[in-house]
Amino acid sequence: MANLKEVVNGEEVTLEIESGVDILEVNKQLARKNMERLREHNVKAIDIMGSIGAGKTSLIEKLVQALKQKYRIAVFKGDLTTTIDAERIGRHGVQVLTINTGRECHLDANVVARAVERISLEDIDLLFIENVGNLICPAEFPLGTEKRVVVVSVTEGPYMVIKHPFTFMTADVMVINKKDLAEIMKIDTEQLKKQVKEIKPDVKVAVTNALSGEGVEELIKALEL
Amino acid sequence: MHELSMTTQIIDSVLEEAKKQDAKKVTEVHLVIGKLTFLGIEQVRFSYKILVEDTIMKGSKLIIEEQDGTIECPSCGYKGAIPFADDPAYHVPIPTLRCPKCGKAAKIIEGNECTIRSIRMLK
Repeated sequence: MANLKEVVNGEEVTLEIESGVDILEVNKQLARKNMERLREHNVKAIDIMGSIGAGKTSLIEKLVQALKQKYRIAVFKGDLTTTIDAERIGRHGVQVLTINTGRECHLDANVVARAVERISLEDIDLLFIENVGNLICPAEFPLGTEKRVVVVSVTEGPYMVIKHPFTFMTADVMVINKKDLAEIMKIDTEQLKKQVKEIKPDVKVAVTNALSGEGVEELIKALEL
Repeated sequence: MHELSMTTQIIDSVLEEAKKQDAKKVTEVHLVIGKLTFLGIEQVRFSYKILVEDTIMKGSKLIIEEQDGTIECPSCGYKGAIPFADDPAYHVPIPTLRCPKCGKAAKIIEGNECTIRSIRMLK
């Protein structure tokens, strides 16, 4: 990597090195490797991120219910400490692997690579990766998935999108969840849609109620599944 | 938001290079941090100061150059600075990936990096 320049000043020798090492590139490279490996096995992977309580796990449950006849599904569940969500998803009869991050606020390509080692890719065609409940940190760490979904819910207020422009830039699909509460919360979902399209014109939007399942078909279409 | 762990990686990388060169002391580190990353410059400086304490990097000068965001549009070929949507309802201008020329989705080509540009050390 290094381009060296030596400057001698009396007894002092100063070395100037052009480095060019990109610290964020390490994760990006691992993410590309994950993607290659998953593609080799024809596994479509989807990263699902969003705040705590936005409805990520409920949405995955509904997606699993709707799609388990069509695909062989596995779910990676990123969580700081518990396996509560993994048990919830596991009840639907699909393979669930919990990735307890301990203290980390996001998954990265390296922990996903290690989780991939622990499942048999020949036995699945669809992999959902539920990221840690956090709308900021995961955005900087691509995992190597085909698509990234960002889930917001109307109870998080009207400024979720414009307060996190960099996060929505990385989204392929945005879900606006808890649509049944939109009126009570006085949230205009059309306005949220308009804002996200301004930041990321090619993003697809699904408006859902993950408890009743309303809008899940729309999400499946947006994910091209 | 990952300034501490990022800065740790930066320092590890610099120290590795210094060891390779058999340097006595690192006197200057020049970083380039993209404005579209989630890294706060102040926090990087703060972490750096603490982390170099017991190393040969102690007292080194940290130069941080900020890289503006640049986008390229696959539809019309536009290449330039990332545009900002200045809707009064947003209160602040927000960066967008909408191509200012054709309105379609553009891609980020610069502003996403955290690069060690150069290191100065004493032999």
